[in-house]
Amino acid sequence: MTFEPKIVGFLCNWCSYSGADLAGTSRIHYAPNVRVIRVMCSARIDPTFVIKALADGADGVLVCGCHPGDCHYSEGNYKTMRRMPLLKRMLADFGIEEERVRLEWVSASEGMRFADIVDDMTERLRALGPSPVKMALAGDAVER
Amino acid sequence: MPEPRTGVFICNCGTNIAKVVDCDAVAEAAAGMPGVVVARSYKYMCSNPGQEMIAQEIGDHDLERVVVAACSPRMHEPTFRRAVETAGLNPYLVEMANIREQCSWVHDDGARATEKAEDLVRAAVMRVAHHEPLERLSVDMCPNTLVIGGGIAGLTAALELAGAGKLVYLVERQPGLGGNVGRVDLTAPYLDSAPDILTDRITRVLEHPDITVMTNSEVVRLDGFVGNFTATLGVNCNDGPGEERRVDVGSVVVCTGYREFDASRATHLGYGKQPNVITSFEFEHMLRQGRIETKEGRLPQYVAIVHCVGSRSAEFHGYCSRVCCMTALKYAHEVKSALPGSYVSDVYVDMHAFGKGCEDFYRRSAEVKTLFLMYGKGEHPVVRRADPGDDCEMLITVDEQLSGETIELPADLIILMVGMEPREDAESVTRLVNISQDKDGWFIESHPKLDPVATTTDGVYIAGACQSPKDIPDSVAQARAAAARILGKIAKGKLEIDAMFAEIDQDRCSGCRVCNEICPYSAIEFDAAEHRSHVISALCKACGACVATCPSAAIKARHFTDEQIFAEIAGVLG
Repeated sequence: MTFEPKIVGFLCNWCSYSGADLAGTSRIHYAPNVRVIRVMCSARIDPTFVIKALADGADGVLVCGCHPGDCHYSEGNYKTMRRMPLLKRMLADFGIEEERVRLEWVSASEGMRFADIVDDMTERLRALGPSPVKMALAGDAVER
Repeated sequence: MPEPRTGVFICNCGTNIAKVVDCDAVAEAAAGMPGVVVARSYKYMCSNPGQEMIAQEIGDHDLERVVVAACSPRMHEPTFRRAVETAGLNPYLVEMANIREQCSWVHDDGARATEKAEDLVRAAVMRVAHHEPLERLSVDMCPNTLVIGGGIAGLTAALELAGAGKLVYLVERQPGLGGNVGRVDLTAPYLDSAPDILTDRITRVLEHPDITVMTNSEVVRLDGFVGNFTATLGVNCNDGPGEERRVDVGSVVVCTGYREFDASRATHLGYGKQPNVITSFEFEHMLRQGRIETKEGRLPQYVAIVHCVGSRSAEFHGYCSRVCCMTALKYAHEVKSALPGSYVSDVYVDMHAFGKGCEDFYRRSAEVKTLFLMYGKGEHPVVRRADPGDDCEMLITVDEQLSGETIELPADLIILMVGMEPREDAESVTRLVNISQDKDGWFIESHPKLDPVATTTDGVYIAGACQSPKDIPDSVAQARAAAARILGKIAKGKLEIDAMFAEIDQDRCSGCRVCNEICPYSAIEFDAAEHRSHVISALCKACGACVATCPSAAIKARHFTDEQIFAEIAGVLG
């Protein structure tokens, strides 16, 4: 059986969540591996959300916000843009591959783009295998 | 603390959800989730019986929380909030799981879609346990409206709103008002004059004291939310440096219209190569000049009209542009009356005469001796130069469907009925006002049948051909509908908005002031005496940027708290 990664997606309400809904209304099919959590702005995405998702067994975390310049709250996405690379550097120190955390801009009219991103990320994570965090936790459980 | 008593309601949405997701299995799984005391699957949760079922179960089981797994919360969250409110539950104690737009409509593997739906329901169940009752805020509704586009839809919307005594800012990119209707001569099917229709409206708009018309102008950005937008306009920016102007509006009507299909893309029709192959808009121009003639100034003996240029084809646009069939019949009338000795042929795929008065018009056109030739969808007529001995300038080869024969049709003037397509910069408009486009690029309405002029962004409306190809009556109807929706909101005076703002725990605040800088609305004040920051809730727009920034975890985003989101994360990961 092929490994099916679980992806937690944090999407801003105004652009990206609408874009994901648009994929639905347009009946654009994509991999059923993503589970979306809606936040008002990508700037609300506390780095601890990403860490918590990985700790709880996610194989990947997708963060989506409005395109730079289009943020509903003027400049929230610029904060996300700066936070995520910092977080990724920290996660790399813990042995978490860079590809597991992905930041993308998806507008309300980009249903197709959202679907493509999910498909691409699913494929990459399938190739990468289960998250080392999940494996370590599973290993711990066995040892205990 | 025991889990709050939770009811889970799984909507089948007819078969929209149920044909992919096993709703009964999801209900069964939900019944075993923490705190769940009742879980039911039903055909239409948003219907009256569906809402009554929720209210009934709240009473029967003393429910403290409700989860509705159905469509997107952007669609029906207000519906279910009202439903639980009627049963005495605070509207913020309901949470939706989006198992339609983000599950059944995008997946075809039933087992995996069902598994995903269960994860989404579990997340909602675990999240809603942490919800707190909140009170809504009442804000003023600004009675001014921004109308983008000065075509027939924009002019109509502006007049309707100003007629009710409200201020309108009408922004038009071109130097003049009128849009595409301004390029037309007579209108089908009653042959009344487009300039007459327009001139009256344009004059009334320009003279109206409550309408500010800004031509050569564009909208640069739109900030705020329903009832309280601020629009930044580039006034006269299309013919010089222009100036920036800011206006406060409560609503926006997008009436940006369409552009015509570029006929040179349909290479087999010879547009751009044969001088006497022209587009419908070029023919309109000729009609307005009052003389139908070839480029060489001769009167054409054979006039051919080709339908569906760019429309209803696999190659270009799949949709029907709706106005071309009747416009083509109008041309047949106009050619016949101007040049009674000429031969007019109509090369079509199907004749779409759906509008009021259109079928009668079609019948009358057949009586004026127009030759109708049907070509197959997916095929195309080919235009070529006639041979030296022919009495015409060009020949059109048509595989005629009704006779089954290949016919060569003489022509001196060929009119291509070019379809409508979204404007080249439609996407930038969607980003400006935060609305969506469908696969063809048209703007998307809130509901295709029941909410045709609203969009998913509250306070932003669409009217006219920017939403899909449309004739004048339909564009006018939409513009008036949008105006009526806006006037309804203005009449109420106040808007209820979500009580979602940030709060700072004064005991945990270290007074570091990081949040003061991060807030895009300057909604956080620093109290120097107390050495603490606090949120001015009326200014806060609930983005949550400060919450994620605070190093002391002292800021709480109401309805998007850390606890709620952590529970949701744990929930989706089972």
